[in-house]
Amino acid sequence: MYGWIWRHLPGNAWVRALISLALVVAVVYVLFNYVFPWAEPLLPFNDVTVDNQ
Amino acid sequence: MAATTDGTEEHTAAASRRPPARRRGMGRIATAVSVFGELLITAGLVLGLFVVYSLWWTNVIADREAAKQADKVRDIWAHQDDEDSGRPAEFDSKNGIGFLHVPTMSGDDILVEKGTTSKILNDGVAGYYTDPVKATLPTSGKKGNFSLAAHRDGHGAEFHNIHKVEKGDPIVFETKDKWYVYKVYGVLPETSKYNVKVLSAIPKESGKTKAGHYITLTTCTPVYTSRYRYIVWGELERVEKVDAERTPPQELR
Repeated sequence: MYGWIWRHLPGNAWVRALISLALVVAVVYVLFNYVFPWAEPLLPFNDVTVDNQ
Repeated sequence: MAATTDGTEEHTAAASRRPPARRRGMGRIATAVSVFGELLITAGLVLGLFVVYSLWWTNVIADREAAKQADKVRDIWAHQDDEDSGRPAEFDSKNGIGFLHVPTMSGDDILVEKGTTSKILNDGVAGYYTDPVKATLPTSGKKGNFSLAAHRDGHGAEFHNIHKVEKGDPIVFETKDKWYVYKVYGVLPETSKYNVKVLSAIPKESGKTKAGHYITLTTCTPVYTSRYRYIVWGELERVEKVDAERTPPQELR
């Protein structure tokens, strides 16, 4: 999978490394800003109140 | 000779032709296995990142937001003093109503806002209950229970060190013109998350039977999970007026 991505990136090894880094940063950004905030309330780690539910 | 040569040529050709075919067959399985392995590694990394997000990044965001909102409240208080308008800040429920100081738990002052939804608490503040049992605000002067909730981990983790609070420790609630000094008299280190009785006007589990001015702090426990709730009860000792320099009461000095 990662090998396939690597082979399909343009340029020489340095260009590919830079593009890979940019892709990793983009994925982390999307996870931290959209995916994790969405997933967090669905997981039982951060309920602090007492309630009837 | 020729035949032999042809034979060997055929043999070598066949020998060199067969292994790639076998490698291609193995290759499909190997590719499937390696993609599966890479997916597992990716899943592990994503889970690791989620831990980083929960325990670090949410704190960064929440501390920033809490500082902004706290500054706003302090600004409004200072501004009202300038204008000398009679309307006290604590009745504006959109902003924070005051600050909570628990010296044994944290050196910071914790902004208190209305409501305990995660949208409010995720800003790194403490919220007073409106549901299922409505909190009685100390500013109302009525007897009742001032019940609060805040995060133990992540999102500011304002109540992270709640286990350090012991009987006799002070809890001070600061409003624009009063210091409400409470003293901790009861701790319930573990209770069900459905135990809403801890929020009652007279929290019987704490040993009280008469109405009084109580404060209740709730958060989740054990640390890093939400299986149970940790409760700390305090009772109002005295109310001090805020002076011009906002000199804190002796408990905070």
